[in-house]
Amino acid sequence: MENNTLLKVNDIHTFIGQFHILQGVSVEIPKGKIVSLLGRNGAGKTTTLKSILGLAPPTQGQVILDGEEIQGRRSYDIANMGIGFVPEHRAIFRDLSVHENLLIAERKKGDLEKKEELIFSLFPDLKRLIKLPGTNLSGGQQQMLAVARALVPDNKLLLIDEPSEGLAPVLIEQMMEAIRQLSAESTVLLVEQNFIVASQLAESYVIIEEGHSVKSGKMVDLAADPETIHRYLEAA
Amino acid sequence: MNTLISSFRRNRTFWITLLVLIIIFALGVRGLVDQEAEGGERYKNVVITILRGLSTGSIIFLVASGFSIIFGLMSVLNMAHGAIFMVGAYVGWTVAVRPDTVVDATTPIALLISGFLLVPVWDQIIKKIKISPALSRLWPWLGLILTLLVLGFLLPKYPITSWDVGSYEISPVNFAFAASQGQVNVPEPEQFQGISPLIGLGGILLGSILAGITVTGFVASRRPTTAGRAPQPGALRKSLINFIIVALLGLLLYIFNTPISNFLYTLDSTWLFIVAILVAVATGAGLGILIESTLIRPIYESHMYVLMLTLGVNAIIIEVVRSIWGAPEFTMHRPSVFAGTGEGCPAESFGDLLQYKCSTIRILGGRVRTYNEIFITILGIVVLIAVWLLLQRTRLGMIVRAGVQDSEMVKALGINVQRIFTIVFSLGVGLAAMGGVIGAPSTGLTTTLGDSLLINMLVALAIGGLTSYPGAAAGALIVGLLQQFIIKYGQIGINIPFVEEAFKPSPPLVPAMTVLLMVVILLVLPQGLFGRKE
Ligand SMILES: Nc1ncnc2c1ncn2[C@@H]1O[C@H](COP(=O)(O)OP(=O)(O)OP(=O)(O)O)[C@@H](O)[C@H]1O
Ligand SMILES: [Mg+2]
Repeated sequence: MENNTLLKVNDIHTFIGQFHILQGVSVEIPKGKIVSLLGRNGAGKTTTLKSILGLAPPTQGQVILDGEEIQGRRSYDIANMGIGFVPEHRAIFRDLSVHENLLIAERKKGDLEKKEELIFSLFPDLKRLIKLPGTNLSGGQQQMLAVARALVPDNKLLLIDEPSEGLAPVLIEQMMEAIRQLSAESTVLLVEQNFIVASQLAESYVIIEEGHSVKSGKMVDLAADPETIHRYLEAA
Repeated sequence: MNTLISSFRRNRTFWITLLVLIIIFALGVRGLVDQEAEGGERYKNVVITILRGLSTGSIIFLVASGFSIIFGLMSVLNMAHGAIFMVGAYVGWTVAVRPDTVVDATTPIALLISGFLLVPVWDQIIKKIKISPALSRLWPWLGLILTLLVLGFLLPKYPITSWDVGSYEISPVNFAFAASQGQVNVPEPEQFQGISPLIGLGGILLGSILAGITVTGFVASRRPTTAGRAPQPGALRKSLINFIIVALLGLLLYIFNTPISNFLYTLDSTWLFIVAILVAVATGAGLGILIESTLIRPIYESHMYVLMLTLGVNAIIIEVVRSIWGAPEFTMHRPSVFAGTGEGCPAESFGDLLQYKCSTIRILGGRVRTYNEIFITILGIVVLIAVWLLLQRTRLGMIVRAGVQDSEMVKALGINVQRIFTIVFSLGVGLAAMGGVIGAPSTGLTTTLGDSLLINMLVALAIGGLTSYPGAAAGALIVGLLQQFIIKYGQIGINIPFVEEAFKPSPPLVPAMTVLLMVVILLVLPQGLFGRKE
């Protein structure tokens, strides 16, 4: 394996209940880059992220982080190796204040204090909302909080699931800017339905269809290939 | 103002229900006012009944709060909660009345626990030894047989000085009676019979180590792949040190058995009561860890099975308690600070109460029992606040509040949710055991203690809202007050217009009325008063 690869997902198979959801997905993410996971609704993008984290453990294949096989380990051990997760639909804790939502992500005391400046510079809104309960935030604010939460501890890898979902265009701009800044320090695996967003952020892509990774390459090539886009990404 | 009105609109049913409850309460209070009495004495019955309601509510709350937090976090309806309440009562009684028995029993228990602390060590060793799959499935069974032989032979021989349910002189009933008279009769301590103590103690320790190895073998043979994680550095040494500490503790308790139990017998009953609470909570929490990690954890996602399982555990615990302490009912004496009857008693003021340690205090002409009505109520409030602070101000509480909503996301943040489950389960169950020992001097000890409490608790939670902490408190309060008001009206009767004789609700009506209230509230508010609409 090249030593500038941070994460290598090698032909994994994952079951949810008795359903064979992933049937051979491979993804390779070089250090410091943004890779975008593309595919139609229900293709298995979210399941891929959960498989990496061990939330939906793969039954076959390898997940290799920094040269170490991590499949089969417990989720919290995997997360503690330095993986941040921004789930689909945000999963902000309603009964926790904004501040607590950030605090709970600390892996050691003082994590939040160190990152506060970065977080507030990326999402200035959060500063004024800090005392509110999570349940009072708007959808866009929750999305920012979800990304901010993943930034609290030092993470080598961020798994971000549809950050632009349901956001107004202005907020999408802000979110893209934040992710761009993040990738300077961290590696990102980005699931994104909005192709314009994905193509502006990511250097490379992997397309998943019906649980298989079917195509990967440089984002610039994909942008210039309307046929592939039509075949795998647009409404069938 | 606008938000107030809109909040009223949104929660109209809630506010109306609350209003109706308050009106019922006010009517209930009015009926208890004694129109013929003078001045403050008119409110004698009101005060006593409300205090009794608060106290009943406190006990229900101690049990309900843990149950509801466990359910909220883990979706486990722990039907064994009532049984553990009962265990708390019986264990607490034993500490207060027969401390020597507790000291005797601690040695074999510590030795039995110690062997399991070595499991991580065996786990690593087993991983290093390569044996054929067939053999690795076979040997744990051999280990199990060997363990059972060793422990089955030695444990019954271990000398525990206790009581005999079958003969009145040395039955729990008689010990309880003696203790309530302030008498202490320490039975002659028993000794190892037929085997030397060294073999007895060493054998039990060996048996428990064998049990630990066996368990490791079973767990390892079930593991699907070799994909285990490397042990944390220092974890093995820590488990070795824990083993040594616990085993040594057991041995030391054996060596210093007599001086320790003699010391406990010299303690004032108040101090002994505090020890009783600590031991009961520790027993409850320990049982909680055992039940959660061995029985619930493997199947906790199949809610129906967990329900059946905990119901089974409930029945087993009741039978075990019955076989140890016997079926006949007995009492537990109150700690001395709440039992004074001499000079200056009953107390006329709270100052007197503190000075003379009276068992009763006169409030508005009525006699209120210090322990039953005042101490239990205050303790309930203290626990209410303490658990609230634990939930709101600590990292553990924060994780619990987050986990109630979405435990998968908590895992994804790198938090060992399984460990949090175990901690919360043992804390919740420990609270129930505490409720048991606190309630025992007022309720007495029967093997049906847990069942009636379980019903009251479920009703309280249904009324308050199953996973809401304020709901648990409100539900417990409502059920406690309702029961005591009905009992009081059973004594004085309700005057119904145009009916000659006053209507006296009989005691069997109490549970029926409680359930009726629950049904009515659930009809109008299916989520309970404070439950969250999903
Ligand atoms: N709990 C479950 N039980 C059964 N099937 C499931 C479950 N969760 C997901 N699936 C199925 O797995 C497939 C992949 O789901 P996944 O959430 O990974 O898709 P996705 O690519 O993230 O889709 P989207 O773009 O809509 O978020 C879908 O067909 C879905 O129906
Ligand atoms: Mg998805």
